[in-house]
Amino acid sequence: MMDTMNTSIPWGLIAPLIVLQLILAVVGLISLYKAEATRGPKWLWVIIILCGNILGSVAYFIIGRKDAS
Amino acid sequence: MQFRLFFRKEMLEMGRSYKWLWVPLVFLMLGVMQPIVTRFMPEILKSAGNMPKGMTISIEPPSGAEVLAQTLGQYSSVGLLILVLSFMTIISGERQSGVSQMIFSKPVSYGSYTAAKWASMLSLITVSFALGYAGAWYYTVQMIGSVDAGAAVKAGLFYLLWLWFAGSLTLFMSSLINPAAGIAFVSLGAALLLSMASGWLPRYTAWSPGSLPQISAEWLQSSGEAKGAAGAAVLCLVCMAILFTGTIYQVKLKKSKI
Repeated sequence: MMDTMNTSIPWGLIAPLIVLQLILAVVGLISLYKAEATRGPKWLWVIIILCGNILGSVAYFIIGRKDAS
Repeated sequence: MQFRLFFRKEMLEMGRSYKWLWVPLVFLMLGVMQPIVTRFMPEILKSAGNMPKGMTISIEPPSGAEVLAQTLGQYSSVGLLILVLSFMTIISGERQSGVSQMIFSKPVSYGSYTAAKWASMLSLITVSFALGYAGAWYYTVQMIGSVDAGAAVKAGLFYLLWLWFAGSLTLFMSSLINPAAGIAFVSLGAALLLSMASGWLPRYTAWSPGSLPQISAEWLQSSGEAKGAAGAAVLCLVCMAILFTGTIYQVKLKKSKI
């Protein structure tokens, strides 16, 4: 069954999604690195961004960031 | 021009908080994911479900238009949530941190202050949705099947109008009250109620802004004229104008209240 699955997956179309996800996580980590203070400990946000794929990064941007104003 | 000054400040701030990066990115991913998941649903079910041997599932392969309409459904839930959450403190945040007190200690027009916030928010919504919708369209055509271009463009424009309405609603709530959770709750609740009401009582809500998502889905799937589309669009624009005027009034009224 695995063989038939592998041959039918168009990796050229799925790869961009994985790349986008990576970009989002990297942007999140850069923002986290530059931030002076976050809501909650930074190491926790690193774990959330790395493990929670899209939702993790979104949660960091919405909840974790303290607006520097 | 004060408006251009404020607009530049808003754009800069949205860039600094990475909104110009992550909101379009998330919208693009949301759009692309639906066609992919739909395309591989049979395989996913086959490998995940522990079904008895010999049992076969036959799923009608959906049409391209159906998948694109499902993508709009994703934007109605997750997309709307992200928009409301990322814009909820757009006015109340500055009021609470004292920035707006500083701004309004100078002779500044409330109209241009509010208009700049409104315009910058709508431009981010437009760019994010256009990017995500284009991605969803491309992936649907590549993986599922073709979609009628005229219907897709019209549906997209009407859906964008709905997101604009939701944004204006969030802006108004942000000028009205301070707690971020309250702003998000009321804005999301009102938007959900409006769109659900158009499903329950289609007769009384034919022109309601809440019927816009349904109109775009109908356009995609039946490619016929949706009833009351022009009326809904006009009424939505009127509602946005009213919300905007209300926002200016609230900004003026509560310029220094914390």
